[in-house]
Amino acid sequence: MKNKKKGHNIKDITRGDAVVQNLSPSKVLLSHLICGIGLASSFWLAINIYSINLIDNPASTLRLIWLIEVPVVVLLYSLFRKDMNQSSYLKAVARGLLGLPVGAVVHALGAIVLGAPVGTQYFLRTLNWSLLMSTFTFVPAASVYGSSWVDWHRIFAQTKPIGSIDYMICLPAHGAVIGGWFGAWPMPLDWERTWQEWPICVTYGAIIGYLVGMLASFCSAVFRVSSQHVKGD
Amino acid sequence: MAVTEWWKNTSCGGRRSAFMVFFLVLLLHCIAILLFTSGFLLTRTELPHHSQCSDVSQSPCGLPDRSPQGDHDGVTCWTKPAVDRLVIIVLDALRFDFVAPSTFFEEKKPWMDKLQVLHKFASESESAARIFKAIADPPTTSLQRLKGLTTGGLPTFIDIGNSFGAPAIVEDNLIHQLVQNGKRVVMMGDDTWTQLFPHHFNKSYPYPSFNVKDLDTVDNGCISHLIPTLYDDDWDVLIAHFLGVDHAGHIFGVDSVQMIEKLQQYNEQLEKVVEVLQSQAGRGSLHENTLLLVMGDHGQTINGDHGGGSAEEVDTSIFAMSLRKPSITVPPEFDASSCKLDLDGREVCISSIEQLDFAATVSALLGIPFPYGSIGRVNPMLYALVAGTWNLEDYDMSSSQSQLKLEEWMHNYAKVLCINSWQVKKYIDVYTASSVIGFSVDDLKHVADMYAQAVNWSDSLHDVASCKDEACRTSFDALKKQIDLYSNFLASVAELARTKFTEFNLRMMGIGFGILLISIFIHVLVIKRVDDITVFPSRETSSVSFGLIVSCTIVTARACSFLSNSYILEEGKMTNFLLASIGMLGLRHSIMTKKMIFEATAFVFLISILRFTIELGLSKPQEVLDFHSWMYVADLMPIVPLIILACLLYKSIACSSFLQFFEEVEISKWGEMAVMKAVAILSVWSSTLMILSGKQGPWIALASVVGGWLISRLKGLEQDNKNATTGLLALYSSPVTQWSLLASCLFFCSGHWCAFDGLRYAAAFVGFDEFTIIPQAILLTIETYGFSHILPTLGLPILVAYKYSSNEAKQTRQSLIQLFQVYLIYGLIMAVTTTFTVLCVIIQKRHLMVWGLFAPKFVFDVVGLILTDALICVSSVFYFIQT
Repeated sequence: MKNKKKGHNIKDITRGDAVVQNLSPSKVLLSHLICGIGLASSFWLAINIYSINLIDNPASTLRLIWLIEVPVVVLLYSLFRKDMNQSSYLKAVARGLLGLPVGAVVHALGAIVLGAPVGTQYFLRTLNWSLLMSTFTFVPAASVYGSSWVDWHRIFAQTKPIGSIDYMICLPAHGAVIGGWFGAWPMPLDWERTWQEWPICVTYGAIIGYLVGMLASFCSAVFRVSSQHVKGD
Repeated sequence: MAVTEWWKNTSCGGRRSAFMVFFLVLLLHCIAILLFTSGFLLTRTELPHHSQCSDVSQSPCGLPDRSPQGDHDGVTCWTKPAVDRLVIIVLDALRFDFVAPSTFFEEKKPWMDKLQVLHKFASESESAARIFKAIADPPTTSLQRLKGLTTGGLPTFIDIGNSFGAPAIVEDNLIHQLVQNGKRVVMMGDDTWTQLFPHHFNKSYPYPSFNVKDLDTVDNGCISHLIPTLYDDDWDVLIAHFLGVDHAGHIFGVDSVQMIEKLQQYNEQLEKVVEVLQSQAGRGSLHENTLLLVMGDHGQTINGDHGGGSAEEVDTSIFAMSLRKPSITVPPEFDASSCKLDLDGREVCISSIEQLDFAATVSALLGIPFPYGSIGRVNPMLYALVAGTWNLEDYDMSSSQSQLKLEEWMHNYAKVLCINSWQVKKYIDVYTASSVIGFSVDDLKHVADMYAQAVNWSDSLHDVASCKDEACRTSFDALKKQIDLYSNFLASVAELARTKFTEFNLRMMGIGFGILLISIFIHVLVIKRVDDITVFPSRETSSVSFGLIVSCTIVTARACSFLSNSYILEEGKMTNFLLASIGMLGLRHSIMTKKMIFEATAFVFLISILRFTIELGLSKPQEVLDFHSWMYVADLMPIVPLIILACLLYKSIACSSFLQFFEEVEISKWGEMAVMKAVAILSVWSSTLMILSGKQGPWIALASVVGGWLISRLKGLEQDNKNATTGLLALYSSPVTQWSLLASCLFFCSGHWCAFDGLRYAAAFVGFDEFTIIPQAILLTIETYGFSHILPTLGLPILVAYKYSSNEAKQTRQSLIQLFQVYLIYGLIMAVTTTFTVLCVIIQKRHLMVWGLFAPKFVFDVVGLILTDALICVSSVFYFIQT
């Protein structure tokens, strides 16, 4: 199944490689769907096979989620690597895997600055959470852009995505971060629910943000295609 | 130019116009807060009347019975005295679980079961002793509680301010009645008593109570006088007030070695006291008819805090022990006690009593008039413990006799309750007639109906009650009904009074809030106008920037978070979260423009340090590290930031003097001068602050200096980026928001939180050994608001001037307008935050935590706002000088 898809995508990209990398909305939808299915299947596995859930065993569930999501994301986004001519698919995969720990460190530091609890009992949770966040944000970008500082800068600092691939990376990543930020808000409330603990509700927020971001990225792809049609006419 | 024209037109000098604006805002805020506070912080009218012995003839209860034994002094006042002498030992901040056996709680904690002597006597069937769970009414501060205990009323929140001055109680109270009726009172311990009752004691041994660090002076003073005094016969009531547990809680927390040592010490002392009393308890001896009360005035939380209304603070205990042997068993209808075995297998029973009832019960036992303003009920259990002991020698303990005895007791109790109800009814009638806001008509009518019902019943009962022997068997139920009726009446009065004295004047609160909103509107209007003026009309400008949107969001989020008690509790972390968010956005911005990445990173790093400091500050200083070398290091560490600060100060002064020396033009620049002034005033203030706040002072001062510098630097980021195309509002909103968030972070970093127990009373004693209210209140204010309000407000010009100290000279007028705008924005942020706190107080006024959480937060914010406004006024005079 994967091979078939690969063939499709390469054809698609080589066509639009000249100035801006553009994918058809159906491709965007498909790749986002795969990411979403990856997430959903990891949850399904956690609950039905390993009988763990995010609330009772946050660390192990988070680990399961990112373990499943990382290969999906890396393999998928490596297909869209920017420097298609210079670097091979395997190299893009390696870049993505390298981006994982780097992103995790950034996210962990950010969370701690924002007030995530530190301590030995939280170490595993924070580690797994930041790896998951890294999967949402850094890994796709690392696979696609590699060490191209200009692209990273454009996506994450300036938030100026150009093509649909840029949107596919930029919007879900921002969605995940913003969703995580909002997800932290219920934490101080005195409802005394277990899901208020770090990092459960933050994870929920991030996942919801990520899904919304993917939806927005798909919409933008559709919108762009339709506006191009208008221009063409 | 429009700018200069405006500046000239609005007044003859910018300084005056700026001052006028800020003064107007200050004035509006003051009026609003005064109005709001008068509606919110409750007050109670104190009535000047005092109860008299002769008053009882007006009551429907008939004259008290003559004691069959023949009175020694021939006079029986309101009730028949049941005890001759009373020993009250007050242990300040006595938690309920210090007294009750640990089996009453889910988990045994180290501080439980330390007062073994109380368990022992409470469990012995032949001793008339009992442990009560005493429920206090908030506010649970010592002064309020002593006032409540002695007057039998409900002291209100507004009195909290008096806790410093401890003014004499003018209202009728237990001690006054004791003195009035010829009882001799001896007091020892906490000097709050002598402040409350300056002329009442025959003998007093007061010890200063305000030095919280001192665990032993008051207690040792008490101990040295207590036992010898017990052998004397020149007193009728003895009050000994121990403070050690309260102080140990404040300093070390409940779960500490010091606390357990204190409790063990008390256990020993109580054992001695009981021993002495028992040795003298024989017939005709000194303590033949003595009642011993060991009681707490309020509880405390695990951290040793008190003042609010949480169960830990409200639950305290009373241990009562009568030296006359057997007491009667009260019918279970009146007895809400629960019994459990303690760890040694002894059965200990615990009853419940409201602190409100204390004054009435003790008055009834001693046979003195109830305090005029008392709204308590004579507690059946405590009354039975002692008043069951009349003439018991005359009866055999057979069951029929005990039934008769019980009936006799109930008859007595009904009579006491009758007097009690009559006195309470009289009080609420007079209160309504004489105070501005009395009880509502409906409530009064309801209560009056209940009273009438009870009295009618008692009239019908009187005929029956005169009988004796078997015929009266039927009257048992009638008596019970009678007691129930009176009890219901008294309970509903207490209920009514609780709502009444916690009822708010909504109109005043509304007006105050309205004025606050108006002041915010004016604030916004002025900001808008200044913004419009500074924008050059010729050029196309965007008055809205990303920074502005972010700042508005952050400020609104912070303000809205005050609507929930959880966020107020976690305010330190909340503020830090928001500051970190805005700091990270700044970092992103600096990466975007590829400028000042170092500064932005340093700022984020600083925030993370602050974050850990806040968490450390929230937990009480625990046991000091064992290693001596570490202690030296900890003692010496603050010198490091002190040296750094000194270097920074030297550098900044050296720089400016250097500039002065070589380029005489520089001095005329406003920015240079403002920086110099700011540095001068900040170094003056921060040295005071560092002395007051102890070891952490230099660290926090350094953090605030570094933070301020970084924000000023980062401001340049936006300035360079956008140049003159954006308005001042868009330019300054983000740095000023950061500035204010950093300021409130520093408040929490320095170990404060918005509660009265978060005040650092120790700071008030820096340089003073004695307690004098004004200088120490000032010191306390400076310590509390120093890093969070005084320094940031006075240092704000640095934010504006920073750019100009190194750049080409810009127009002084424009920089003055910028400063004006910055102060306006800063003031607005403070005002918005406080307005939301006020709104929250309005919404949550019926919340359980209103006195524990919202009211202190309100007071802290309001004082902070006024202080900031006043400081802005001062700064406008200080900085707004055109050269």
